[in-house]
Amino acid sequence: MSAIVDLVLGVVTSIGGFVEAGSISTAAQAGSEFGFQLLWAIAIATAMLAMLAEMSGRLAAVGKCSMAAAVRERFGIQFQFVPLTAELAIDLLLLAAEIGGVAIAIRLLTGLSFQWWVVPVGGAVWLVLWLCGFGLIEYGLGLLGIVTLSFVVSAWHLGPMVSDLGAGLLPSLPLHHHLRYGFLTISIVGATVSPYLLNFYSSGTVEEKMTEEELWVNRTTAYLGMSFGGVVSMGVLVTSALVLGPRHILVDSYAQAALMFVPAFGHWSVGLFAAALGIGCFGASVEIALNAGYLLSQVFGWSWGANKPRRDAARFTAAFSVVVAASTAVALMGFDPLRLTTIAVALTVVIMPVVVLPFLVLMNDERYVGDHKSGPVGNGVLAAITILGAVFALVVVPLEILGG
Amino acid sequence: MDLVRQLLDKKVVDRHGREMGRVDSVILEIADHRPPVVSAIELSPSVLAQRVRPILGRWMEGLEHALQISAGRPLRIPFEVITIRDQVTADLAYGETSAAAVEHWLRSIVARIPRSS
Repeated sequence: MSAIVDLVLGVVTSIGGFVEAGSISTAAQAGSEFGFQLLWAIAIATAMLAMLAEMSGRLAAVGKCSMAAAVRERFGIQFQFVPLTAELAIDLLLLAAEIGGVAIAIRLLTGLSFQWWVVPVGGAVWLVLWLCGFGLIEYGLGLLGIVTLSFVVSAWHLGPMVSDLGAGLLPSLPLHHHLRYGFLTISIVGATVSPYLLNFYSSGTVEEKMTEEELWVNRTTAYLGMSFGGVVSMGVLVTSALVLGPRHILVDSYAQAALMFVPAFGHWSVGLFAAALGIGCFGASVEIALNAGYLLSQVFGWSWGANKPRRDAARFTAAFSVVVAASTAVALMGFDPLRLTTIAVALTVVIMPVVVLPFLVLMNDERYVGDHKSGPVGNGVLAAITILGAVFALVVVPLEILGG
Repeated sequence: MDLVRQLLDKKVVDRHGREMGRVDSVILEIADHRPPVVSAIELSPSVLAQRVRPILGRWMEGLEHALQISAGRPLRIPFEVITIRDQVTADLAYGETSAAAVEHWLRSIVARIPRSS
């Protein structure tokens, strides 16, 4: 019974936690500029994320260690140093963008400049981390995140043609703005397959003490939860394509993105958009900050865990506190959250090969996954993702300059 | 024994199961006409940083000096007192070692904030 409850909660929180600053901004931009044509990019990125999340959960359930810990043990610090530094930089930038996202959501509701809200939001993120255990953080924020389903409701209300949606799910080349199209494709992948999500997922599996017998829960949560989450992202794209696209409104700020809810929700549109954006970004902020604590603690072998009294894991506590403070400072400097997200997403794509490559080795090492090694299909797809990641990493910077 | 795969970078806990850190380096003793023997493991941010780049190691040493926590660092644990399984267990008390300096200092700060325990 408890496994079923875990499963339902896991799936629901995956849906609630899927949409945040990166996925909202990339999907909204893709929809307003290219209609349904980039739906396939969300589908492929979601499938990649689900597969990698399932693997990191399997590694944690069987090997009792998180991704970061396993990489340090198996590959050593010389290999890990670059991805670790990059991942911390991404965490810092993304967290600043998410805090900015929450502050903008509050601005939409109150009309008061977003910089007034940055410090209170940073403080609230820290307070949640200080006071709550893992279960409350994961499930509480995930359940609140269900409000992001309003993107799906909105898309449904607008009644897109099924044949158009089907056509969007098949990869195709655009008739115009090829560089921009390439850039958005890669941005969607970078915003979806975030390294923080993978390490957070495996650390969560360790926190929840999942066992080898519960691997089916992990598998179902990863695939079902992420797939539904991907549908929410698609809801953003479809709504943006049907509302903003025909009016030639480009998404260069969240205030513009908020207009996409007007046809479906009328008077409620700004409030609901602000709630979806604010809660989505707040949930992601807490997860990213927690992940920074996990990452450093696991790499250096410190005591860690959101369920431990904070003084018993003082370095872990200090790590997430410093990251929250630093990101709040970055957000306070007034950088545009959309711009920060774009940079973080590009950096994610640059390091993607070194994030994915260790999976290929670890998922075939019986010291970590016992009898649950990846089969030829899993290995084949992983190898393909690694190669794809390497190609993306090579082209992302030129594309960012030319099409960003 | 494959030192790199079975010892280096493994998690180290003390006799009470408290996390001490990871095996940041392995000390080998080389004597004439005998194969090299592992004499100790080391736990230290400066040794770890040195493995990445020697200059980072020197910076980290400088930082430890500046923070006045360099006494007894790097922590060297004799091979005789460790047991190697999934993790490395050292037969000593973490709190009494120099590796705990930063944790102690941070704990004194964290403990002052309400609801820290």
